[in-house]
Amino acid sequence: MTDDLDEIGKLTKVKLKNLDKCFYPDAGVTKAHVIEYYVTLAPKILPIVKDRPLVLTRYPDGIKDAQLGKTSFFEKNAPGGTPAWVKLYPIYSPTSKRDVNYILCNDLDTLIWLANLAALEIHMPFSTIHEINKPDLLFFDVDPEPPATLDDAAEVALQLKDKLLALGLTPFIKTSGKKGLHVVIPIEPEHSFEATRAFVHQIGIELAKNSDLIVSEFKDTKKPGKVFTDYLQNSPMRTMVIPYSLRPTPEATVSTPLEWSEVQKGLNPTDYTLFSVSKRTSNPWKEIFSKRCKLEI
Amino acid sequence: MEQQEENLEQDQEKTSASAPSRSIWSGSITIGLVNVPVKLFSMIYDKGVSFHFLHKTDGQPLKYVKMCTKDDKIVPWNEVVRGYEVAKNEYITFEKAELDAVRPESDKRIRVSKFVDYFSVDPIYFDRTYALLPDKSKDAYTLLLNALQKTNKAGACRITLRTKEYPALLHPYKGALVLTTLRYAYDVVDPRDFEKLGKLEEPQKAELDLAVKIVKDLSGEFDITEFKDSYMEKVQELVKQKAKGEKITVTQTPEVEVKGLMVALRETLKQLEKK
Repeated sequence: MTDDLDEIGKLTKVKLKNLDKCFYPDAGVTKAHVIEYYVTLAPKILPIVKDRPLVLTRYPDGIKDAQLGKTSFFEKNAPGGTPAWVKLYPIYSPTSKRDVNYILCNDLDTLIWLANLAALEIHMPFSTIHEINKPDLLFFDVDPEPPATLDDAAEVALQLKDKLLALGLTPFIKTSGKKGLHVVIPIEPEHSFEATRAFVHQIGIELAKNSDLIVSEFKDTKKPGKVFTDYLQNSPMRTMVIPYSLRPTPEATVSTPLEWSEVQKGLNPTDYTLFSVSKRTSNPWKEIFSKRCKLEI
Repeated sequence: MEQQEENLEQDQEKTSASAPSRSIWSGSITIGLVNVPVKLFSMIYDKGVSFHFLHKTDGQPLKYVKMCTKDDKIVPWNEVVRGYEVAKNEYITFEKAELDAVRPESDKRIRVSKFVDYFSVDPIYFDRTYALLPDKSKDAYTLLLNALQKTNKAGACRITLRTKEYPALLHPYKGALVLTTLRYAYDVVDPRDFEKLGKLEEPQKAELDLAVKIVKDLSGEFDITEFKDSYMEKVQELVKQKAKGEKITVTQTPEVEVKGLMVALRETLKQLEKK
């Protein structure tokens, strides 16, 4: 064990602490498991989060009682003690009237450092620092309201896919890790968030016209049994959980990129957990940034 | 030397701690125009168990160094300033000299402002007790001690110890004057401010009668010597055994498995290198 730790010390700059701490009591997941998980998935995660200012949800004591909000917190500003080698990107915050130093995760050590901070959940915006106000992703949050289920969300996502393909766009999909699905489309960063938000909203409106299941307006989100295609996150520094982010669920579920062929009835978010996802060999979002579409608005 | 050994013998029997030989402060109790010269001695020990950290491989003591959290470099003292956190991660800095300039200096006085009933002071405020012994002349000291014993009063006073000013209570204890420093009112929480406590319901009479009966049945005299620090005793027993060279088996908590992490790290580094 100490030999292994010495070896680990040679492979990463991060000083790992409290590796035996239990993060997911029901699933028996320790901090060591979480770091191992993010290390394993790093080759799939790093190309997608590159140059995106990240927002963290940290669970220093694991997810026990996490719903109380007392044992977890959002973090945008790099915390005190951030090592010098972690890349930061300042964005002026009008509400707190100062620069917020966002963390960029462009290398393995930074990802390990985030895991070591107990940042179980990592969120990313829909633009990069190169064009921070011009989104390079369109985002549909397909969100079923009970009794609507993930099956209903899958049905809506498939309709959405057909619609997007017909427009010449290439959609990618992942589970949210909770009850919904996330559909994103890589685009050339040349429009404003206002424009992409309106575009995503319009698609939702058109889908809702032909479906009793789908609602496109925020005011209808709590209607039981409906699926909302949420467009509102398409805004500056609004975020989604990154692909392969862990979620604070008892099973340690993961927001998992899927092949479209996997999107079908019987889809179960709890099938995609820290343990099962680290064994998945497929990489459905591998080509995401080589397939950028030019969005004609 | 002989004297010391005798003291050690006595300690085995005694339940109290041994008296220190050096005072930590000297000055006067002042009551109006009257001065009573005294020396202040520690009366409270924080025993417990303490260990030194040693380097496992060569047994050498370890020292603490101040390290910069940004580059992990050791920072020399002349590069250290004090930071007062005004908001999360925002500090106002001070040099040591700036703070020393505003520190209160001990004026060598225990200033009694009035005499109060000792039992009227809530023990929650009691902080630390020191023994006061007469300095030079015993007359004034004896007079004050007797007067307080006769009236059952305690002197409410102020004292500056090192660089901090404390409220304190001057009172007789087992034939001597002692000084108990007090906590400030703003350092103590009012339990009514715990939201979790909420409003408590009146209990049922029958239930209360039973509870009162249990309390009465278990009532007795308080004896502090009934309480022992069992952890300290066990450690001292272990120390004795170790000193004699006895082998001690420790039941360990299972160690965390990090082999998977190491393997994953190697594999990922290999994959990332390829790109």
